[in-house]
Amino acid sequence: MTRLGSGLLAGLKVTWRNLVRRSVTQHYPDVKPELPPRSRGVIALQEENCTVCMLCARECPAWCIHIDSHKEVTPAEVEGGRDRSHNMLDRFAIDFSLCMYCSICIEVCPFDALHWSPEFEYAEHDITDLVHEKDRLREWMWTVPPPPALDPAGEEPKEIKAAEIAAAKRAAPPPPVDPAGPQ
Amino acid sequence: MTDLAPGAAPAPVSLPDPTLGPGSTLAPKPVRFVLNWGRAYSLWVFNFGLACCAIEFIATSMARHDFIRLGVIPFAPGPRQADLMVVSGTVTDKMAPAIKRLYEQMPEPKYVISFGSCANSGGPYWDSYCVTKGVDQIIPVDVYVPGCPPRPEALLQGIVKLQEQIAGESLPQRYAQGSGQRDAASLRQPLIRPPEVTP
Amino acid sequence: MSETPATERAADLRAVTVGIGDGAAGFGHERGGGVDLATQDMVLNIGPQHPATHGVLRLRLTLDGERIVTCEPIVGYMHRGVEKLFEVRDYRQIIVLANRHDWLSAFGNELGVVMAVERMLGMEVPVRAIWIRTLLAELNRVLNHLMFMGSYPIELGAITPIFYAFRERETIQQVMEEVSGGRMHYMFNRVGGLKEDLPAGWLGRTSAAVAAVRSRLPQIEDLVFGNEIFRARTVGVGVLSPELIHAYGVSGPIARASGVDLDLRRDDPYLAYQELLDDGVLRIVTRSAGDCFARFDVLLEQVKVSLDVADACLTRLHELPQGPVNVRLPKILKAPEGSTYAWTENPLGINGYYLVSRGEKTPWRLKLRTASFNNISVLPQLLEGRVVADMVAILGSMFFVVGDVDK
Repeated sequence: MTRLGSGLLAGLKVTWRNLVRRSVTQHYPDVKPELPPRSRGVIALQEENCTVCMLCARECPAWCIHIDSHKEVTPAEVEGGRDRSHNMLDRFAIDFSLCMYCSICIEVCPFDALHWSPEFEYAEHDITDLVHEKDRLREWMWTVPPPPALDPAGEEPKEIKAAEIAAAKRAAPPPPVDPAGPQ
Repeated sequence: MTDLAPGAAPAPVSLPDPTLGPGSTLAPKPVRFVLNWGRAYSLWVFNFGLACCAIEFIATSMARHDFIRLGVIPFAPGPRQADLMVVSGTVTDKMAPAIKRLYEQMPEPKYVISFGSCANSGGPYWDSYCVTKGVDQIIPVDVYVPGCPPRPEALLQGIVKLQEQIAGESLPQRYAQGSGQRDAASLRQPLIRPPEVTP
Repeated sequence: MSETPATERAADLRAVTVGIGDGAAGFGHERGGGVDLATQDMVLNIGPQHPATHGVLRLRLTLDGERIVTCEPIVGYMHRGVEKLFEVRDYRQIIVLANRHDWLSAFGNELGVVMAVERMLGMEVPVRAIWIRTLLAELNRVLNHLMFMGSYPIELGAITPIFYAFRERETIQQVMEEVSGGRMHYMFNRVGGLKEDLPAGWLGRTSAAVAAVRSRLPQIEDLVFGNEIFRARTVGVGVLSPELIHAYGVSGPIARASGVDLDLRRDDPYLAYQELLDDGVLRIVTRSAGDCFARFDVLLEQVKVSLDVADACLTRLHELPQGPVNVRLPKILKAPEGSTYAWTENPLGINGYYLVSRGEKTPWRLKLRTASFNNISVLPQLLEGRVVADMVAILGSMFFVVGDVDK
């Protein structure tokens, strides 16, 4: 068998090693954690971008997005023109007590009205306060970080490609005959 | 649970609410402050770990987040020695009686943190046939922490929020009728009432 | 579980194993030494909320003194009916729920679902996506095993290792969060690939994280394996025979610890595992002892292998040409009519996904075959005739997640 007390010494060695090492503890309430931009903390709403298409509300697996809207009709500006109707957003609320933080709503949003913010400090005493109305969702927008740069080996984002095509189109003189233009 | 045995469940009797004695209302402010201070910073926590959130709860108690810094002590041997219950995870209908029972075993003053979407309101399982839609249907909750699962820092923030609440509260107020807290009888009533049978 | 054979077996067992020592040889009574001293079986409930059972598993033990006569695991405390919920969710929404039944191996779960759907659609996944998936799946395996490497010693009374295990977990969770946004539930798989591309510089940070975990792994190893008490409580305890494994469909590290050499990464290769196998990076860890110690040993060895595999994936991802990580999906994704069965080697064992589609947006049925359920079913066999103190050691070494048992 091993020498008496050798186990104790080995244990104390570990203790000593950890005693002099820097601790890994993060001092959360005093020091805020540095979170990656993709971190799913809270959903922010860029209200101006929302067209009330209801895609997010329909795709949400938890049905936690509540949207109310009404139609407003702008009369035609020119004589004989058509009246234009807009969807006006009355209410946009996300119930964070139901939300499962899956980011489907953000994925399906065609106009980039929804964004992830890494903020997580919104625990409440009353569960009804977890329903964030559009004002509060708009406030989160200020905490949304810019998206991270993508890996160079990845495919070029389609937005860049589309922008380049558009820029090339604008730079080139308009095609003389075909009004439809190249695809 | 004897509570749930059909036929044997008596109607809930309104028991006297726990009091701190007649002198408690007369306690001067400094005494109350010291009492609350003591309560807020020695929260013996009982982790009702049910699902994913329990892992994040464990992560919070580990070296990196370490909630012992905030005076939350995760070594309560059971609910009878605990001040704070953290319900972390999906509460199923099968599990609900156990949660209620353990909550009742906790000594006053007791606090509950509902940790994660499932405990808040059923969350991802909102349309499931066997999930209780929120632990607040069976026990009163003091702080709701949103997330699925919430990150450990979110639990820490929930705890800080609870400590603020404890620091500002006075117990007579807490147990006063109609103060948002449910009375003792409503907590002691069985979850499911057996159907009335006429002989 | 049938009731009668178990009780019969128990009766036999009682006659054989429960003795009261040589001093009682004169007494005729089979247990307890005389009619007056005859003992009664005690029924002991462990769980559903009990520190010895991580998660809400309930065990009903019938005890004769210290010995366990029968053990009946009562499952269902975590049953959330996900299979039913799958039927009313489209394939993207299913991934969210699939994440959550085995919360320690979320990536592995979502992988199985998307693989089943991709097989139904006959969809080719881009090369980069395959390698990233392999990498993340292996990192997830490390995360899962680290959790058990921390929790198992805690069940045996050693609190320290879990602190080390969670330090490593946090290291890996940080890179996982950076890429997917979630610490536990990644929701990063999509049918046909991944949600989005990697952030720039992520590969380097992951290499650093993998290297850090590998360099600190010996600390956990020394703490646990050098501990005499740990050895005394695990070596030779809870020996699981290959016959039982075959009978109950036990899989994963538990099966491999008993010498049942089945690993889908090699036997039915998916993702990039075939190539990794050919390169010799992916080794299948097996042990023959079949006791609690061997099961734990397999876990530790698998972590090392997974870290090696992760490194190989990282090197490969550096070399791969520029390419997409997902394919363009139609607006409404419908799996064609038919059925398929996809299985993956999840960290805890074989997970199967039987997908039946009637050509709708939602599956008609998505049946889960979860590893933990089978691993838990063998418990009554394993616990019969053991003492209660060993129960904790055996139960902890079965490496299960209650959500995976109950779905």
